[in-house]
Amino acid sequence: MLGTQLLVGMAEIQVSKEGPLFVCLGLGSCIGLAAYDPVARVAGMVHVMLPAAFADKPVDKPGKFADTGVSAMLEQMARLGASKSRIVVAMAGGAQVFNFGSGNSGRLDIGKRNADAVEEQVRLLGLRCLGKDVGGNQGRTMTFDSGSGLVKVRTVTSMERALCNLRGS
Amino acid sequence: MSGSETEFNAIQISCLSEMANIGVGHAATAIAQMTSKSFQMSVPIVRSVELESIPLLVGSVEELTVGIYMPVDGDVPGHMAFLFPWRSAQAFWRMLLGQAPDSPEQVGELEASVMLEVGNILNSSFLNAISEMCGLPIHATPPLLAIEMAAAILQTIVLEATNTDSHALSIETKVSCEEEHAEGHFLFIPTLGGLKRLFGALGLSEAA
Repeated sequence: MLGTQLLVGMAEIQVSKEGPLFVCLGLGSCIGLAAYDPVARVAGMVHVMLPAAFADKPVDKPGKFADTGVSAMLEQMARLGASKSRIVVAMAGGAQVFNFGSGNSGRLDIGKRNADAVEEQVRLLGLRCLGKDVGGNQGRTMTFDSGSGLVKVRTVTSMERALCNLRGS
Repeated sequence: MSGSETEFNAIQISCLSEMANIGVGHAATAIAQMTSKSFQMSVPIVRSVELESIPLLVGSVEELTVGIYMPVDGDVPGHMAFLFPWRSAQAFWRMLLGQAPDSPEQVGELEASVMLEVGNILNSSFLNAISEMCGLPIHATPPLLAIEMAAAILQTIVLEATNTDSHALSIETKVSCEEEHAEGHFLFIPTLGGLKRLFGALGLSEAA
């Protein structure tokens, strides 16, 4: 799996034994959550779109919502041998990219609600968050190199920079 | 797109393409009048796609892009957007202001309002044309502007569309002005309820 790239599209969950580079391209108000079990060497990423599943509709893709996506990713990682107690995570996204125009205050603030909802799940599931880059007005591309553990974020105006290393320290 | 409730038949799709074609024609005329340049718009492509795949439809997902987004109200509500690559946006600014900002940080109130107005005119002329053809009230709401990676802009619009009962059907076209090397992408994602009312008004409602 070394050297392969796994694109994690909207509402998708990708898991793998360590090796591939996980990528969430152009996160706007969505959240990318990278997860890693350093002992079992199992990695995953989910691209969450919305805080919570609709009460009146069946969940077509669990990765779409914070309240179903995080736990669904953990289950898939567990099938590859990961243990919840060892999993560490990093998150990015949740921006409000439409920052010009009338009446935008309070509207389209879904980014913040997404970030809060994912953090809530991380807390409820007892996962340790090692890095977080959320909010603001900038869209982000998030990469997680499951070979090295390195999580990086880049924006349209800034160079790519390291957010944290999920292998620890 | 699978799932029977979201399938539309060929007659409905081709009717929608034709209406969109007339709508973008009106939009092209409006922008030509605004800039005194000639604009071409490609024949709109009506696609039945999963909403989540829309951010990947534009070629370069991480390219710096100016996006104007307008939620649409009335009997055929939905989501409408124009996206210009940064260089094309600069061409628009030069045409309308005589000069263009060099970087996104230099975009101030004036540059932003000019771009919002471009979006306003394009979208309103499109919507007015559709509204006249089907006899249903449809109107645009105040536009919002983002200067961002293309995918980040489109994702945010898809989120809004997912929050309403939007149908995974997109109408997409390319606007271009050869003389000024400007081009952009137009996107309209109607809601499922809105589409049903539209087809109803046109006498094409059965089998929807």
